[in-house]
Amino acid sequence: MEKTAGIGRRDFLKSTATSLGGIAYLSASLTRPPDAPDKFEGTRVLGRTGIRLPIVSMGVMNTDNPQLVRAALDAGYVFLDTAQGYQRGTNEAMLGEILKDRPRDSFVIATKASLPKDQATGGYGPDATEEAYTKKIDTSLKSLRLDYVDVYHHHGTWTREATLHEPILSALQKAKKAGKIRAIGVSTHRNEPTVIDAAVESKVYDVVLTAYTFRQQHAAGVQKAIAGATGAGLGVVGMKSMGGNVRGAYASGQIDARACIKWVLQDPNVHTVICGFTTFDQMTLDMTILKDLTLSAAEREQLRRASMEAGLYCQGCGGCVGQCAQGLPIPDLMRAHMYLYGYRNLVAAQDLVLSLALPRDICGECVACPVACANRWNLRDRVRDIVRLRDVPTSFVA
Amino acid sequence: MKTSVWLGLALLGLALWISPSSAASAQPFAFPSVDGWTPAGQPQVFAPDTLYDYINGGSDLYLKYDFEELAVVEYRKGAMSVSAEVYRHRTPDHAFGIYSQERVPSAEFLAIGAQGYYENAVCNFIQGGYYVKLSGENTGTDDRATLLEFARRISAKLSGPSALPEILAAFPAEGKKANTEKFIAKDFLGYGFLHSGFTADFDRSGRTYQLFVIAGNDSDDARAMLQQYLKQIKHEAPVAEGVYQVADPYHGAMALLWKGRHIWGTIGLSDAELRAAYLKYFEGVAAR
Repeated sequence: MEKTAGIGRRDFLKSTATSLGGIAYLSASLTRPPDAPDKFEGTRVLGRTGIRLPIVSMGVMNTDNPQLVRAALDAGYVFLDTAQGYQRGTNEAMLGEILKDRPRDSFVIATKASLPKDQATGGYGPDATEEAYTKKIDTSLKSLRLDYVDVYHHHGTWTREATLHEPILSALQKAKKAGKIRAIGVSTHRNEPTVIDAAVESKVYDVVLTAYTFRQQHAAGVQKAIAGATGAGLGVVGMKSMGGNVRGAYASGQIDARACIKWVLQDPNVHTVICGFTTFDQMTLDMTILKDLTLSAAEREQLRRASMEAGLYCQGCGGCVGQCAQGLPIPDLMRAHMYLYGYRNLVAAQDLVLSLALPRDICGECVACPVACANRWNLRDRVRDIVRLRDVPTSFVA
Repeated sequence: MKTSVWLGLALLGLALWISPSSAASAQPFAFPSVDGWTPAGQPQVFAPDTLYDYINGGSDLYLKYDFEELAVVEYRKGAMSVSAEVYRHRTPDHAFGIYSQERVPSAEFLAIGAQGYYENAVCNFIQGGYYVKLSGENTGTDDRATLLEFARRISAKLSGPSALPEILAAFPAEGKKANTEKFIAKDFLGYGFLHSGFTADFDRSGRTYQLFVIAGNDSDDARAMLQQYLKQIKHEAPVAEGVYQVADPYHGAMALLWKGRHIWGTIGLSDAELRAAYLKYFEGVAAR
């Protein structure tokens, strides 16, 4: 292979890093919508509930510090998210003690409960009755010392069948009719697109609370389902913006929570994100997102690095196969990309690229890439980036 | 090039080998047999990065308490079932911490492990670094006895001290509300630099408030925490062992005592006289 003039190993690595443009492969989801107002107002309407909320909200689950909740409400947080199961009910009770001293129209609260499910199938048994779920709702109201809650979520479903479990839907509808709850929600931490689609199908749910993070391998599926939900008038609340159920997120080290939250809020179909802060400083910092959703260069770099850990690796789902007009072997090219940027193994990456017998004119006459990646990767940039390895002399690499 | 690649891979391998997640070498908990009851399948085991699969969003709090491993099994006997969950945390203090977050002070407390309680088909207890949660389904009128039998069997297989954290005994008995002691493992008082603390609720003459103690790793650690705290609340005073009366923007008037590796204090106590009395009490404890 001839050496291309002006390209050496160091230059190559430098230029490819630059070509990533910080987080180029996240760019589609990280840019603000073109019609976004110049001055971001910091609130969105929670679908057909009509409730206008700040785009950042407080997830209370991680704290037993009532002063933190009071400070958050004083600072401008409006929406509190809890659950009957958090700290075995003591989280709801703590909120009840705090909220009894505040005007009812000064806050919006969501809580949630489930009934025992089969952990293997996610389905409900015969004990999951309307009566049992109604008791859950009444217990929450008692703990919270409220006449009604704004959103009551059917908690933690991951199958269509459980989401549509009739006795629970009936209990929720009756509670809504009785004025115990203003809106019916469903929360999901896995298999989210299925649950969200089922929520739309039900015509009962008003709100979905979903895990949504840049680390999800199926983030594109979640994004699509969310778009469908908002199209049907549902409100959408994001959670687990830092990783949640994504394997490896726990061990992946520090990343600024604001970068993760902003990433979720780039999706205009997400109306608010619940933030699980536990310090006054975090509370104050998260609040700054209301004024500016722009991702700083440092935040983009953090997301890029975290994506390298959790999202660089092609899962081999095969969803892209057959979509490329040139018939490029996208999964193989993504594997080469992983070798280079994930493992820093230039030799393996080049060996793989050279073995693929790629056409000289990559991307041909395509103006826009027709290939949709489940990871929402910018495949065009990645492919064009990695195929340049062909132009680096093998003797130099070895 | 090849040398650097292999060196890099070797370093990566070393890093993975010594990472905390792989350092936990303890065997998963071996559940006991209980007469008449049959385990429904093999126990499931969850690690820090998979706990979410079992308890969803609830896992965040467990991770704050240095959760290491969960073993779960369901026992069955006819239509009855008992779910047994054994959570292992890094230290007995952390096991107590997560237990204290979920403990219901009004429950019936039991002499099992370091402490346990029964309430509405649930029996939870701690022992050493373990937090055990048992729940019955269709266990009827024998529910309490059944769960207690499981608790005893599991307790017999656990290692570690069967006592609550020793420092809790330093809180004054007068006015203390029973079973309200807690261990907050991170972000104590809502400040990231106060790494952990023990609290207890008090009620005297209709006034409810908390006392706390922060145990630093050593005197220098305690000094550093106090220094940061005073800076945070803009309290200008030289940092030296002794008492402080401060105004916290979020917690109001507080009394503090720093001595050695401990920082003692009051939360939510507006009565200046009582705060002063507690400072004297703390000084007495610190002098022991």
